[in-house]
Amino acid sequence: MSFSLSTLIQQIINGLSLGSVYALIAVGYSLVYSILLFSNFAHGGFLVVGGYACYFLLTQWGYNTAVSMAGALAASGLVAVLTERLAYKPIRERTPITLYLLIASMGVNIVIENIFVVTVGGRIRALPQSTFPTGVFELGGGVTVSASDILSLVVAAVFLVLLQLFLTRTRWGLAIRAAACDLRTAGLMGVNVTFLIALVFFVAGLLAAVGGIFLSVRYSLYPQLGSITTKAFIAAVIGGLGSLPGAVLGSLILGLAEMLTAGFISSQMRDLVVYSLLVLILLVRPAGFFGRPAGEKI
Amino acid sequence: MAGTGKSLLEARDLRVNYGAIAALSGFSLKLMEGEIVSVIGANGAGKSTFMNALMGMVKLAGGTILLDGCPLSTRTWKAVQGGLALVPEGRRVFAPLTVEENLRIGAFTRREADIQEDLDWVFSLFPRLKERLGQYAGTLSGGEQQMLAIARALMARPRVLLLDEPSLGLAPIVIRDIFKELRRINEQGVSILLVEQNAKQALLLSHRAYVLQTGRLLKEGNSRDLLQDPDIRAAYLGQGAGRGAA
Ligand SMILES: Nc1ncnc2c1ncn2[C@@H]1O[C@H](COP(=O)(O)OP(=O)(O)OP(=O)(O)O)[C@@H](O)[C@H]1O
Ligand SMILES: [Mg+2]
Repeated sequence: MSFSLSTLIQQIINGLSLGSVYALIAVGYSLVYSILLFSNFAHGGFLVVGGYACYFLLTQWGYNTAVSMAGALAASGLVAVLTERLAYKPIRERTPITLYLLIASMGVNIVIENIFVVTVGGRIRALPQSTFPTGVFELGGGVTVSASDILSLVVAAVFLVLLQLFLTRTRWGLAIRAAACDLRTAGLMGVNVTFLIALVFFVAGLLAAVGGIFLSVRYSLYPQLGSITTKAFIAAVIGGLGSLPGAVLGSLILGLAEMLTAGFISSQMRDLVVYSLLVLILLVRPAGFFGRPAGEKI
Repeated sequence: MAGTGKSLLEARDLRVNYGAIAALSGFSLKLMEGEIVSVIGANGAGKSTFMNALMGMVKLAGGTILLDGCPLSTRTWKAVQGGLALVPEGRRVFAPLTVEENLRIGAFTRREADIQEDLDWVFSLFPRLKERLGQYAGTLSGGEQQMLAIARALMARPRVLLLDEPSLGLAPIVIRDIFKELRRINEQGVSILLVEQNAKQALLLSHRAYVLQTGRLLKEGNSRDLLQDPDIRAAYLGQGAGRGAA
């Protein structure tokens, strides 16, 4: 395909929109990593919970979009908290080796995925058409932007700003930042560490649900939808695991790289480029853009 | 400020094991209201383990901890609410946070309305921190970090300030400054429990002291008497006293 300015602009818009959804998910990976030093691969499961909760609230119980979204965020947050309590906390209390947490999280991810396969079936579903605005705006020169792209960008930005405000302006936000630096010492400050960890998982789960809803709108909803979080995870690694600005930056880079590849080379090359980019960046900067250089990352 | 004779913190027969290793095998200690008590002991004697046990940071295999005669919670955050604050070994300031944020997290259990007053108090003790409020804690010198770690603990307005080797890695002149501040803090009503390898400084500061050896009590008494004790002089004040400079 030959170069054209309108394709460039079009793909930048698409890339930012996709990147903003990645960012919501990547931030959850980084948040959990920053406190417990492991990559929580059950995050994809939380996202699926959010997607299905939203779907059933809309279709089975007939709630409106706002209530359904709120319900989905809460459901996903609660599943995240429960996962931590039932699967991770017992391990954390027995061993300081975080590799076990990583493996447990992979297991939880498969369990959640299969719970959906067994209970609601593996078929692909779509959120009802009326859920989100569907209009498409013509920007001239053949460049279009869909209402759902704009919505996902705006919603992602709003949630990321809210998260930033929470972390920098509140007492518990400060506690989370201190815990990210040194969890034990944060406990010595009188912070209830058990509650803090639950809070972090709740926030991560909630953000995953937002991502899950937008991915369901963009693609569709099925039990394996969570596997898309691999890309968000890569974004978090590129940005530097544990760093929230890094997760956002990595996500935008990844979204843009994917869409520009799709626009100028071929859609089939998207994943090749994304994974090559990861390897390349890890070769040059093993800790990602904003990562802590010390310590192993798993 | 000397002790008033009212027991504030008491550890009875504390036992802590790490796997097969017994780090504390029945250590008891009493801290009176207003007192400074030190625990001295060599590397691996179990000093840090004892402090962590008081704070609920390690699991007790036996024994009880009493605050005002009542059992203290084994949950760290409740111990802090109860009035204990630990300055951990190696300072452990939150390096990527500013000095002000470090102080504010120290005040986590306090009401927002009281924080300003407490900030003013710690600035009166460590004026240097006030000049460095916006600086990242990781960029402070070792001595300044120790001051920050102490000030951070004080922001919880503790009744007992626990310090785990505050002299560690500091120059003698800085150690003297910090110990002078500790005496001032005590004169303002905070009871202090200090563990140190730097036996001389600890004994000079404290009213009473306990000598800990491989998890057991070796000796206890008035710090002044222990400073003159020939066994202690040989084991902890001979070459041992030079450790601060090592
Ligand atoms: N987390 C742990 N796991 C296993 N053993 C430990 C652990 N922490 C301490 N120990 C052991 O317990 C004993 C007491 O250690 P502790 O750190 O309490 O000594 P200490 O008196 O503080 O020494 P130092 O002056 O070097 O700080 C030592 O033998 C140490 O090896
Ligand atoms: Mg120690």
